Amino acid sequence: MPVSALDNMVSVGLFDSNKLKEIEIIANEFNYSYIKTALNFGFLTRKKYVAFLEQEGFELVAVREEEMDEQYIVQCELIELNSILYAPLRKMSDGSLLVAAADPQDEKLKTLLLLRFKMPIRFVAASDLDITWLIHIKRGEYFVKEAVFSLMRKDPEQSGLVTFTDPQLITIFGGIAILVILLFISFIKVAMYLNVIFSVAFFFTILFKLYLSFNGSKAEMKEMVNKAEVKALSENTLPIYTILLPVYKEDKLIRKLIWNLRSLDYPRGKLDVKLLIEEDDDKTLNAVRNLDFPANFETIVVPFHMPKTKPKACNYGLHFCRGEYLAIYDAEDVPDSDQLKKCVVLFRKLPAEFVVLQGALNYFNKNENILTRMFTLEYTYWFDYMLPGLMSLDIPIPLGGTSNHFKFDKLMELGGWDPFNVTEDADLGVRVFEKGFKVGVVNSTTLEEANNEPFNWIRQRSRWIKGYMQTTLVHMRNPARLISRIGWRGFLGFNFFIAGTSITFLLYPLLLAFLLVYAIVKLTFVATLFPDWVLYIATFNLVAGNTMMIYVNMLSVFKRRYYELIMFAALNPLYWIMHSIAAYKGLWQLIYKPFYWEKTNHGLTKISSSAAPTEPVL
Amino acid sequence: MPKQLPKILAIFLIAYYVLISWLLRRHGFEHSSELFYSEKLFLLFNASQNTILTLGFTFPTTVFLSSLLFVPLGYLFAPIAASIVTMALLFYLLIDEFENHSQFPWKLFVPIIFLIFLLHPMFVFAAIMGREKAIIALVAFLIFRSFFRYYRQPVTYHIAMASIYIGCFIFSNFEFVWVVLTFFPFIFLISLEGMLIARNESPLFQYYESLNNRSQRRKLANRTASLYLIIFLLPLMAVVLFRSLNAQFAGSATYFLDSQYANWKITGNQIKGYVDFNVGRDNYIYQTQIVIQGFILFLTPLYIAALVLFRGKLYELFTILAMMLYFSFLILSYKFVLTLGYYLLFIPIALVSICYYGTSKYSVKKASWIFAVSSILTIVMGYYFFKHSDSEEEKSFSKEMGSIYTYWQGPRLFSESEMVAHYISGIATDENKILIDDASAYPIVVHIGNLKGIVLPHQKTFITIVENPSKFVKYMLIAKETNPTQNLTVLNEFNLIKFKTEKNLKVLLMYETKNWLIYQIEK
Repeated sequence: MPVSALDNMVSVGLFDSNKLKEIEIIANEFNYSYIKTALNFGFLTRKKYVAFLEQEGFELVAVREEEMDEQYIVQCELIELNSILYAPLRKMSDGSLLVAAADPQDEKLKTLLLLRFKMPIRFVAASDLDITWLIHIKRGEYFVKEAVFSLMRKDPEQSGLVTFTDPQLITIFGGIAILVILLFISFIKVAMYLNVIFSVAFFFTILFKLYLSFNGSKAEMKEMVNKAEVKALSENTLPIYTILLPVYKEDKLIRKLIWNLRSLDYPRGKLDVKLLIEEDDDKTLNAVRNLDFPANFETIVVPFHMPKTKPKACNYGLHFCRGEYLAIYDAEDVPDSDQLKKCVVLFRKLPAEFVVLQGALNYFNKNENILTRMFTLEYTYWFDYMLPGLMSLDIPIPLGGTSNHFKFDKLMELGGWDPFNVTEDADLGVRVFEKGFKVGVVNSTTLEEANNEPFNWIRQRSRWIKGYMQTTLVHMRNPARLISRIGWRGFLGFNFFIAGTSITFLLYPLLLAFLLVYAIVKLTFVATLFPDWVLYIATFNLVAGNTMMIYVNMLSVFKRRYYELIMFAALNPLYWIMHSIAAYKGLWQLIYKPFYWEKTNHGLTKISSSAAPTEPVL
Repeated sequence: MPKQLPKILAIFLIAYYVLISWLLRRHGFEHSSELFYSEKLFLLFNASQNTILTLGFTFPTTVFLSSLLFVPLGYLFAPIAASIVTMALLFYLLIDEFENHSQFPWKLFVPIIFLIFLLHPMFVFAAIMGREKAIIALVAFLIFRSFFRYYRQPVTYHIAMASIYIGCFIFSNFEFVWVVLTFFPFIFLISLEGMLIARNESPLFQYYESLNNRSQRRKLANRTASLYLIIFLLPLMAVVLFRSLNAQFAGSATYFLDSQYANWKITGNQIKGYVDFNVGRDNYIYQTQIVIQGFILFLTPLYIAALVLFRGKLYELFTILAMMLYFSFLILSYKFVLTLGYYLLFIPIALVSICYYGTSKYSVKKASWIFAVSSILTIVMGYYFFKHSDSEEEKSFSKEMGSIYTYWQGPRLFSESEMVAHYISGIATDENKILIDDASAYPIVVHIGNLKGIVLPHQKTFITIVENPSKFVKYMLIAKETNPTQNLTVLNEFNLIKFKTEKNLKVLLMYETKNWLIYQIEK
């Protein structure tokens, strides 16, 4: 019987033997050391463990500052180092190998290392988090390069590393050149047709959204997974479920995160939670270290590599996942407690081609200010109506950042996320369709924190819109191929919904300015410049388009009974001006800083996430 | 029910309506509204100027746009085809709704509904007249179907669809904009129903508790406002937009309502025979029953059956009664007498109510008897009221239908408009043009069938030519004093006298009918 720190803790009455049995089962299933299991599955606090080690005479060494002879660590696989939590440091003068271990009393590890290095082993105790940091920095290079370049190597056509391809540049600049020439030849006629094209594009993109919303609202009639089906699910048959939590400087949210994870109705031994922290993010690492209660997640440190994006971190995390299914959440997310079980049921119910499920997102701080109200309306129609609408029409669904649930093997087959795309989720959603798979929508909600600060909102939105532009450019590199893969309906849907979204935001201020000049300020030259029919179409499209968007916003209050928000829908035209500012910022960044990740600050809200219900009420 | 039966019967109905319209046409019977839309369609595709006014502002928009779909069948037949197909679609949807949402046996409801569509004079009239009545009947059915579906399954989709249908309703007849007021009671009651607490107590106590709780009151206000907005925002914004486009491009926000070039009703109300002056006549008396329109109940016994068979919530009852309330409200200020065609929509509303609530109170057998008897009575009463209608057109239709089975024989008869059109076709050339004002002469323009040698108001030079006809045209079509629409056109006998005296215009009468004169201008 191998001896470990936990056995010793049990023997001195500091740990419950029943918990140890539970740990043993989980450790065997995950192939983890006992101490890793105890610290990462909510059995033991780090502080309590450190106190025990000190009591046993093990002072923690600052392993990140220790001198290291890398010839020893290179003989160990990162997966193993990460599972057992140790790091060979250097050979001592007495001929022994100094090894930093999270559990310096682990006899099994000692035997393993003795056999491998053929020299006496001398353990020093170190923080599991510091060991994690060290081993990922020293041995994570291959994995991080895979995370960055794997998609580009396997499927360069789908990688966003090249923002504009040569044919795209030729088309864009050729188009601009032709336009300028035409403007010189006949300024009025060209301006007239441009006006018509812009306003018609604007109108039809919004009309398509209204159509999608109507289609999506039909989905309310049929519950994808009901409570009885969840209840009937046997816990023994549940697979391991991985949750990826990519964070960056989210130290304030770590406590919330633990409580949110605890509220998930899923056996903890089958929940493989990975907190993905960047190499330079000591703030978050220390927040985890200083927790007063047991953590129920495993920390993975992502070594530095450009681009410094969330998808790169997620791709890196994929190498350490154990789950059959994988979900991705943000740190501040509050998913419905039965969301994972619902996804298991739905994955089993749906045909095998459904490899991703998207949960609905909504906000717990919806009533904080006007911006959060508008954001809530937008998210509600987006996730409750538009995405189900896209699903019903079999059109590519842009995944929504968090609450995406994947079949792990299929996600690997797809090549993970594109680290060069700043809306990697939307891009992946389209790629899923291109590869002949499908995205489903699950009737479960995750509450997030709505951005309550305008400049922070614009930063976030500019990234999203830039990402939509990137996604459009990547998938439209070869339109004929795209059509052959996703069909005409998918192609048109993709262009109306993903390309169209960015375009409408870019066009909106132009059309609005035109209407102001013509109808409100009544500058007569506009009326003399353009014929009546052009003005009629432009006015109709802009006013009707805005009305439809207000209406779509209004529709969204019904499913969740957010009746108090309905009047705010009328502010949508102003909200769209903010979108347009973000769109132009996104366009500028697309040209100058395509991979730059505009970080959204979280934790600005003063509203508690426990205040809001998550289940939509019919 | 055999799966294809509704489709087969709908196709049969189309053939039946087409046959009737062909026989009536063979006998020279035409409806002015059908000709109005035909002429607008003709201008849309043949005129190069002012198409924006024709396409954008011809009202009712739904009728015009639905007719547009049938233009390949010919300008003259397009509006009739649209109304025929609309009625067949209504029949199909009704059968489908009964099949899916009622407990009545198909062997009962299929023959009943089919007979109504086949024999009820108002249905036949609506189907073959190319007027807005068919589309109003269809849209009324769709609105109430959406509400009833919403009551069974309260999802956003149904309420959003109701909103779109209400938009169509208003764009089929602008007076329906006032449903915004008359739908309020049941919308409020729907909200209240959702707010009720203490559901095990008596209804009165539930209402008391709900209304005397501040938080509940706030929720009630929010919910009512939300429902109200979601139902009416789209239609009302559409109206606002349409009015502003009218103001911007036609010079008047109510152009689509007031202009004889955009709205058939302006001339139609004149043609209908000045019914508002015959105050002693039957229809007018029926419409003085403002509070409860007993007349509607007599006209539509099916509606009585729907109320007798009904058992449900208060808001559901108020939904069924909403259009009755609307009519009471409408006739308070409506300056014309409503013809029977206006009341057609009560039959589909009654049918869809029976579909959803018909078997909630009595056994299916008992309810079936009530349904069947009331349907037969509805057909009978339809005949009775149609025979005694005040409307000239309804009366003439009734008269024409009386001997329709003989119309396939004998020579084809021509209407007055056709005869005038034939004459004009013979004289008008590019060199010898004729001045026509289609404000009243639209039936003639559409029968001419081309714009060769014709000067019409949509042309920008029209006013100049009217001011000085002798320089530009050789002929003028003048509306006679007896023409009911003569006061809506600049080219009438009164103005001709003015031209003669003030501009020294010399004319020679070439052709004359009951309502029209064609003059040659002597240079």
